[in-house]
Amino acid sequence: MRTEGLIFADAELMRDLEGDQSVQQVVNVAHLPGIVGPAIAMPDIHWGYGFPIGGVAAFDEEEGVVSPGGVGYDINCGVRLLVAPLGIADVRPRLAQLVDALFATIPSGVGASRSDVTLGRRELEQVLRRGARWAVEQGYGFPADLEAIEANGELPGADPDAVSERAKQRGKSQLGTVGSGNHFVEVGYVAETFDAAVAQRLGLEPGRLTVFIHSGSRGLGYQVCDDSLDGMIRAAAKYAIPLPDRQLCCAPLDSPEARTYWGAMNAAANYAFANRQLMAHYARRALGKVFGPDTAERTRLVYDVCHNIAKHETHEVDGRSRRLCVHRKGATRAFPPGHPELAPQFRDIGQPVLIPGDMGRYSYVLVGTPGAFRETFGSSCHGAGRRLSRHKAKELARPRNIPKELEARGVLVRAATRATVDEEMPEAYKDVARVVDVVHAAGIGRKVAQLRPVGVVKG
Amino acid sequence: MTPYRFLPHTADVAVELRARSELGLYQAGLDALRELLVGASPVTTPSERAIEPRGSDPTERLIHFVAEALYLWDTERFIPVKVTASGIAGETLDPAKHQAQREVKAVTRHGADVRVAEDGYRTTIVFDV
Repeated sequence: MRTEGLIFADAELMRDLEGDQSVQQVVNVAHLPGIVGPAIAMPDIHWGYGFPIGGVAAFDEEEGVVSPGGVGYDINCGVRLLVAPLGIADVRPRLAQLVDALFATIPSGVGASRSDVTLGRRELEQVLRRGARWAVEQGYGFPADLEAIEANGELPGADPDAVSERAKQRGKSQLGTVGSGNHFVEVGYVAETFDAAVAQRLGLEPGRLTVFIHSGSRGLGYQVCDDSLDGMIRAAAKYAIPLPDRQLCCAPLDSPEARTYWGAMNAAANYAFANRQLMAHYARRALGKVFGPDTAERTRLVYDVCHNIAKHETHEVDGRSRRLCVHRKGATRAFPPGHPELAPQFRDIGQPVLIPGDMGRYSYVLVGTPGAFRETFGSSCHGAGRRLSRHKAKELARPRNIPKELEARGVLVRAATRATVDEEMPEAYKDVARVVDVVHAAGIGRKVAQLRPVGVVKG
Repeated sequence: MTPYRFLPHTADVAVELRARSELGLYQAGLDALRELLVGASPVTTPSERAIEPRGSDPTERLIHFVAEALYLWDTERFIPVKVTASGIAGETLDPAKHQAQREVKAVTRHGADVRVAEDGYRTTIVFDV
């Protein structure tokens, strides 16, 4: 190991890791060249491939590497949160209508595609270069949305030519779709606030209706990652980088292999920003259909964050300012108040950090803190983290009717397949409150509000 | 010999593959992938798709082969059934006959390492789902 591993967890969360390989994966990351500071894992750590899910690692720009396994297949998988000008009490009588409208308006499930959004070659290139900004210019959302997206929804350094034809083929009709697995569109409301002033600034007054969106770069991003791995395995051999796991294959940041991946990764990340921008547009349309066009226009974007990304950032290390390549895989950027990369409306409160839980319990909104900047390269957790395998969850769900159980708890579920709902049952996840409490207590994020779900669209 | 067996994995799907030959290992990989994609739906083999072998070792070749089958599913909804001399045989998804189960994002390299012993070939692969 070139450095230490640092896992944020309490005793119970650590017990959940027994018997899987996630701690070993933290150790593996600590072997990579040019790593600066510890190999970090957030309290929602679980077994991934290459890096653990919930992993953060920073690399020196001259001696370090970029690893597709530190970003993941679903490049810029992330979440965004909308808040509507409605109270939950006004929505309940028409909740089923709203969830049905979302299910009909935002395609979900295996190979979901849109016939109303067809991208020609030049348009796809614009999506890859300009992300959410392209979407807003096409009328999908409002210019103000861009200020509430990490990096304004447009990462620099995107190179559409570095994205293969196969990746473009996989992504050309999937913009504005959810996908399956743990992706979702969730209707909820603000159940509790922990910092009323910050919650109010974000429009999260108690009882307000919210829409959470979780998706990423779809087939295009998966293919970009897959395309890069053969080259990265060869690069690791070429630059004599020993690999504890093939999925950690990597290349020095200044190598041609790294530059090619960097261009393609940022292009895929921009595709993901555009994807969530379109999904938000169609969520607004569903709200408009049920509650009138004024509701759609007054539904605001609270924030949009990446979960799977590598970015060049400036951090203070041992008292000096350094440019680093920070990998976050299943982790959220959590920049503190005053950070120059934040839009003016977040400068005094810190960056919103969105932490979805499971379908049945709750989610959280936090803000970034100086502690996160000191301890975790400005990073926080990204969700609850799974505790049951998909196989085990399905086994437990088989004799039960999970949608009916959720409905009895006040949560309406619409899903393309039963398999996804069973695998994503609430018990399959850790209690996100526990994860968030660790983050809050460690000072790497600060709790602002708790949201509770009332309707979920799954793939 | 059971050709494939799903193993506990918290977030994704791990499967152990066993076969008498390298081609048999590809078949086990296809069988596991098909179960993930369409469950036990009956699938026939009226058509074929070509897959060019690629990779410097059995592990890379296996991952490449199964990943190509996944690409064909993702772009053509072609359900893989059988390894053939030039690629794979199977059929295109028919919603009246087949029930799509889930999206499989990728065939990862995590932990993949084909070992050859007296009783044949064996490895574990992890699907990102």
